[in-house]
Amino acid sequence: MTMLRLRDVGVRFGGLVALQDVSLDLNRGEILGLIGPNGAGKTTLFNCITGVVQPTQGSIYFEGRSVRMAPPHERARRGIARTFQNLQLWDTMTVTENLQVPMDAIGRRNTFSDALGLPFSSYAERSAKERARAILHVLELDGYGDRLAGDLPAGIQRRVEIGRALAMRPKLLLLDEPAAGLDAHETERLAGLLHTVRERFHVSMLLVDHDMSLVMRVCDFIYVLDFGKILASGDPADVRADPKVIAAYLGEATPELSDAEPTPQLVTGDRPEAAASRAEPGEILLEVDAIAAGYGHLEVIRNVSLNVRAGEVVACIGANGAGKTTTLRAISGVIHARSGRVRFDGRDITGTSPERIARMGLAHIPEGRGLFPRLSVEDTLRVATDATGNNAPLDVAYDVFPRLKQRRRQAVGTLSGGEQQMVAMARAILARPRLLMIDEMSQGLAPTIVRQLFRLIDVFREQGIAVLLVEQFVESALEVADRAYVFEHGSIAHEASAEELRRDRKLISSSYLGTEAQGDGVDIEVVTNGHANGNGNGHFPHPDLMEIVSMRMPPALKRALEERAEREGRTVAALALELLEEAKR
Amino acid sequence: MWRFVIAIVAFAILARLPVGLDAGFQFDAALAVIWAFGILSLVLLTGYAGQVSLCQATFAGVGAYGAGMTVASLHGGYLLAIVVGVLFATVLGVLVGLPALRLHGITLAMVTLGIALVFDRYVFQDHLFDWFTGGAGGWQVSNASLLGISVDSSQHLLAAYDVLLALFCICAVLVVNLHNSGAGRRFRAIRDSELAASTMGVNLTRYKLLAFAMSAGMAGLGGSFYPLIAGSVSPQPFWVFTSLQLAAIGVLMGVRYVPAAALGGLFMAVVPDVLTRYGHGTFLNRAYEISFDWFQIAVGVLLVLQLILLPDGVWGDLRGHAARVRNTFRFKRAHEVTPA
Repeated sequence: MTMLRLRDVGVRFGGLVALQDVSLDLNRGEILGLIGPNGAGKTTLFNCITGVVQPTQGSIYFEGRSVRMAPPHERARRGIARTFQNLQLWDTMTVTENLQVPMDAIGRRNTFSDALGLPFSSYAERSAKERARAILHVLELDGYGDRLAGDLPAGIQRRVEIGRALAMRPKLLLLDEPAAGLDAHETERLAGLLHTVRERFHVSMLLVDHDMSLVMRVCDFIYVLDFGKILASGDPADVRADPKVIAAYLGEATPELSDAEPTPQLVTGDRPEAAASRAEPGEILLEVDAIAAGYGHLEVIRNVSLNVRAGEVVACIGANGAGKTTTLRAISGVIHARSGRVRFDGRDITGTSPERIARMGLAHIPEGRGLFPRLSVEDTLRVATDATGNNAPLDVAYDVFPRLKQRRRQAVGTLSGGEQQMVAMARAILARPRLLMIDEMSQGLAPTIVRQLFRLIDVFREQGIAVLLVEQFVESALEVADRAYVFEHGSIAHEASAEELRRDRKLISSSYLGTEAQGDGVDIEVVTNGHANGNGNGHFPHPDLMEIVSMRMPPALKRALEERAEREGRTVAALALELLEEAKR
Repeated sequence: MWRFVIAIVAFAILARLPVGLDAGFQFDAALAVIWAFGILSLVLLTGYAGQVSLCQATFAGVGAYGAGMTVASLHGGYLLAIVVGVLFATVLGVLVGLPALRLHGITLAMVTLGIALVFDRYVFQDHLFDWFTGGAGGWQVSNASLLGISVDSSQHLLAAYDVLLALFCICAVLVVNLHNSGAGRRFRAIRDSELAASTMGVNLTRYKLLAFAMSAGMAGLGGSFYPLIAGSVSPQPFWVFTSLQLAAIGVLMGVRYVPAAALGGLFMAVVPDVLTRYGHGTFLNRAYEISFDWFQIAVGVLLVLQLILLPDGVWGDLRGHAARVRNTFRFKRAHEVTPA
């Protein structure tokens, strides 16, 4: 039976179309997956279903009744509960209290009898506590009941959010990125937990997550969103193999660069002193040594080491939440690295304030571009020149971006997304950087603009400006980059030349789309020189040449494996492969 | 149960405090309870529900004028006067709560401050509202009857103080009870995350308005006793600055804790009077005088110091320290009992 039915749902925010003609069916007892690249509209769709955002068109039926006009709390009463991508627990309340709020909200308790502490209220209070304890037990959260929710680590908080949603006795549970910030082992545990929850609480689920291994393992059916539209739908296996989906995630291999658009040129004549001070190509400009960083309780990256040579273009790729943006922030000093060192141009810049790092010639264009929407183009660029202490004429920037010269009196906020990105880049090059870090340059931009921007990066390289890119269009990034680092779960899974990675898509797609789910909870992925995948095509190269890229198994088993490998003096990978072989026979 | 016992003991002690003091201090004691009501209303509204309000004194003023009007103009009994005062304040609270459905933080503070200004200037001091405020002189309430007993402010000040204090103790227990009850949790849920609260079945409209109504009603209850203890109503005690002071002292003492309301009320009523009475004389052959202005400056300085040193307010941090000391003690004992 269809529990949730969406028909032609559309949402516009001003001129921006966030969702368009989305139709979706969810059956009772089903776990439905919703995937799609960044900005595809998944969270907006969640907000439509829970009533936080009103759709501009279309209809939403829950259990046969339209809920389009119902306010959020009314939908909650009818049985729609959700968790949040950015944790929204009530931080100053205990875990038990967090679970009690939705329980009494459903129970319609009386405020005055509560204040007087009448028997009716204290009875309801006790039964609610009892139920909270039962839910916490199922979620393996015993003992956390009296802790303040805000003091718990993010992984636990995610589970408390699921518990809070379950406390409403929902019929439908919407999970927004429940695995964000979890490591491979915790994700594994979550997958098992979700199945338990379905059996124990009889809920249907709609799951959004970037961790494909979770989605593939847990979901019965998957919808893929891209640019606010349903791109594909089907069983996990079908979706995995769908070329359209792979293209949406990795970006299509761009066709031959056409010369229809003029290639922008940096005018070097204006900046002789800058050219003279350039480091010789090949010299290491940026060196990041085993840094760890994060936000609050959450450690997002650990043990990340990378380097960028002068005049080199390096790309950072990997799934969402893998730690790319955090790495850039830790380098530019926006957040402080918790351990490890960052060296730029031979000097240690760990813990130096961001503006001093910027003055040293390390420019950072953050995700979302970091522009001031009310300032005009010219003022924005002037801010850059003033801040760096030289009064360079803006012509350098206008020569590269002639379009900006026409719009120099316009407020930045009124420009198109592509033009805004140009302003951000123009501002960065006016600071005469030696290393430019660009975070998600192509986010939300049309392909033609993206191509133009990528060509510009080539120009930067010719000028001797090193570039460190974080990019979701992997293909385009690899086309322009010399080398790339593949991020996975907060650390660098591999480093390879761009050419190598382009040849072997499997290497990257495993980090984006996850590996095939295995029922027994052990999942070992072995890669050798980026050529053959151990459990992919049945071909096993020499075991000693392999390294384990990621390993998901119970910790006790893992420890036993490591101990035995050490005893026998072999690599863990070789041992694991041998055991797998044995098990097959 | 313990809460009631503590409340009764606190009442017994506090009721004895002003006995034997001169009329000025007795008046201060009664005034302290009125301001304590104002801060208690902030504990509910700001401390629990997270809604900023800079017009609590206005609610108290409306309560005071409502009560004064009932007694002096309509010749009603004082019980009726209290009911009318609370009713007026509650209605105003709901009206102020309406914009709060859409506003948060600083904008809500501005709106409530605006309301305090408007009432100060254009209601309490305007001829248009003479029927409510009794004109320029305000209402004179020299003789009122409470439950058939004639009460004269100049002679029965302590009796009025006791009634007011008893009401405060009851309200304080109710507010403490509310903290760990369903409604209290919903208020706190709204404070921590409105988004999560609404999607978890909390009706935001209802609970925000309820918080404002209850808070205004409580402030109004305190205010409605003002004519009884002062003998008259004038706009001066309920002007904008009192609202700001209530908010500042509430935060200073710990706006999330009920006992802080009592502390704050005492501080707000007694300290300025002590300063004006004893704050002058000669020191090293030099005449000095500490006026009310000094009190205001002191509040500002204390607020800054508190935000740095005691971020949870005086009471909140004292409580936190006490709990920590207790915990370390318990931890030690547990170790002694179970050697590993």
